Amino acid sequence: MKKVLTTILILAASLSVFAQENDKKLSKLPEIDLQTLDGSIFNTKDISNDGKPIIVSLWATWCKPCIAELLAIADEYEDWVNETGVKMYAISIDDSKTSARVAPFVKGKGWEYTVLLDVNSDFKRAMNVNDVPYMCILNGNGEIVWQHTSYAPGSETEVYEIIKSLTKK
Amino acid sequence: MQQKSLIISIILTLFLFSINSTQAQHQIGNGRISGDFGFNGMYYIPDSTIGAEKIDSKVRANAFLNILYSNSGFSAGARYEFYQFPLIDFEKIGYQGQGVKYFFADYKNSFIQVTAGNYYEQFGNGLTLRAYEDRELGIDNSLLGTRIKVTPYKGIYLKGVWGIERKNFDSYLDRRDFVRGIDAEVSFGEIFPVIQEKGFLTRVGANFISKYEKTSDPLIFTINSGDSTSTQAEIPADKFPSNVAAWAARLSFGYKDFRIDGEYARKINDPNISNNFIYKHGEALFLSATYAMKGFGIAASFIRADNMEYRSQRMEKNNSLLYINCIPAINRQYSYQLIGDYSYVSQPNNQIGVQLQVNYQIPKKSKLGGKYGTDLTFNYSRFHDIEKKPVADAITNGTPTGTEGYTSSFFKFGPDLLYQDVGFEVSHRFNNKKWKLILAYNYITYNLEVLQGHEGIMRGHLVSSDLSYKITNKHALRLEAQHLYTKDDEGSSIYAMLEYSFSPNWFVSIGDEFNYGNPLKEHRTHYYNVSCAYIWNTTRIALNFGKTKEGILCVGGVCRAVPASYGLGLSVTTSF
Repeated sequence: MKKVLTTILILAASLSVFAQENDKKLSKLPEIDLQTLDGSIFNTKDISNDGKPIIVSLWATWCKPCIAELLAIADEYEDWVNETGVKMYAISIDDSKTSARVAPFVKGKGWEYTVLLDVNSDFKRAMNVNDVPYMCILNGNGEIVWQHTSYAPGSETEVYEIIKSLTKK
Repeated sequence: MQQKSLIISIILTLFLFSINSTQAQHQIGNGRISGDFGFNGMYYIPDSTIGAEKIDSKVRANAFLNILYSNSGFSAGARYEFYQFPLIDFEKIGYQGQGVKYFFADYKNSFIQVTAGNYYEQFGNGLTLRAYEDRELGIDNSLLGTRIKVTPYKGIYLKGVWGIERKNFDSYLDRRDFVRGIDAEVSFGEIFPVIQEKGFLTRVGANFISKYEKTSDPLIFTINSGDSTSTQAEIPADKFPSNVAAWAARLSFGYKDFRIDGEYARKINDPNISNNFIYKHGEALFLSATYAMKGFGIAASFIRADNMEYRSQRMEKNNSLLYINCIPAINRQYSYQLIGDYSYVSQPNNQIGVQLQVNYQIPKKSKLGGKYGTDLTFNYSRFHDIEKKPVADAITNGTPTGTEGYTSSFFKFGPDLLYQDVGFEVSHRFNNKKWKLILAYNYITYNLEVLQGHEGIMRGHLVSSDLSYKITNKHALRLEAQHLYTKDDEGSSIYAMLEYSFSPNWFVSIGDEFNYGNPLKEHRTHYYNVSCAYIWNTTRIALNFGKTKEGILCVGGVCRAVPASYGLGLSVTTSF
């Protein structure tokens, strides 16, 4: 009985510590150098949107579910921007084999996202991402409030709900 | 017992810790701890009909844990890998062992970045240096040593590396080979903003790499003169260069929607096992031109690589080990099940080829485009070997070993076609948004002898379709169907897979591949697979049961063999 109690106590204590920490501080994106499509260096600390929410998506031209997700959001994107002022950064992890094809691909699809290149997966590693598609949502202060891996049709609805709740606050 | 409950509570705490963490990472002072974990296990069942052998320990798994600490400009991390009893494909390539083979500390401000420990790096397009990892393929050629990056002025980037390449789980202690390199890049648009404002992009870069490897053994080989007498010859140890140098220069130029990139690389004096120990220099040229506007994009590229296999150890033969550089396979990469085995394998010593891709979107709200537009993609790629004329010495000796090997005229395509793909793809979403269809046709020509080492050419027609139906906002069905028609190699196959997803958490799928056209009747087998995955934020848990065909797995032109297998697999990945 004593042991059980100890366990519960330790658990409760640790939980409360973490709970407090959650209230205290959300984490921000790591600062990593990426490339823009016009060839400049872009550091992820410059990802910003005037205090409005931001979506960051990690994708690749060879990744089918990534493209399905970005396509699904592309349909709604105009409405989302009008209603919430959200901004989407689509960071491609294509390496030198395929990175030259990112720009024509994105333009070919007519996407309005800000596209960045992570050619040797430095950002992917710093974010501890195992597989793409990966998506996270930042609040107006650039803090990560939601993360998700993989894509199932319809999950864009959840993304939209979160962005909307962030704008209300 | 006390101890046990303590352990249990620690485990539970860690578990809860990771659940909590999806909302917030863990702060220590101003620092933050994050990480990711992966487990990929399998229970193997022997099956003689597909060639799945009986193996000594039936339960195998790959597992790793990454931990990363960062605090403003400082970061440090380590990865523990447990591959002591790995999945059989990893055992086959020698990726077996356990331990911390990746750890680093890094400091960065706006002027300088220094790294000590393991790091990944790429110079330019990677023609001369690319240290990278691909966990699926079991490739990790990170460098252990130091790295410095300096930005003396915005738009000028300098890098220097010095390190030993990772070789699976082998010790670094007895290694006598290492790699050094410097790279400089100047981005004019960042130095003179007026260039960028006018819509121009101009970047130039250059690098120099040197590999050190001392050889203590001579190489004995046989010379066959024309009169059928053979004599022993030798390359003495001191004739193997201790330093093998490579350099490259690159240029990017763009104006508004138009862009060209080019890089030329050269390697000097590198007799090694892959080039029959010839002393000829190596060279590679990579060019790409793209044009993009809204709704239209075109990308063309060219590659030529001659004697450019560049490794830390000249006697290394393992396909996934000790590459210093990476000659990209520039063809379009497909994820179709049935042509996975016919993916082009990049040939760093011997290839010349072109790749062209055109994307066009039939405008939204037009008659053909429908409400959401229709995407069309055309693709063409063709790769040959390079033209080679043996030098006089190589002809008299009956072997190129120890000579200059051959000469080759630069832009000439060689006699052997290695790979060709002509493809067309249509992607359309229907007006009610519930249905989406991707239809594709590819005609593939694949040189089995050069790319897989068994005789013949495979010519195949592949028709594939991917149909999705959104039942409600959260429930969706997806049906993939493919048909490969060929009279060559293992003959025709069909494949179908049905996936049901319940957003955002559940995936269930069932699929079958049937090699109905196999010339050997007993090999006309079904390879079925059932899988179920649960996703919760950044955690994914998947179970699957079924059969895997013997073949090759390729990621971006780099491939490894996959043995036939049958069994139950479990995979868990999470990041926190």
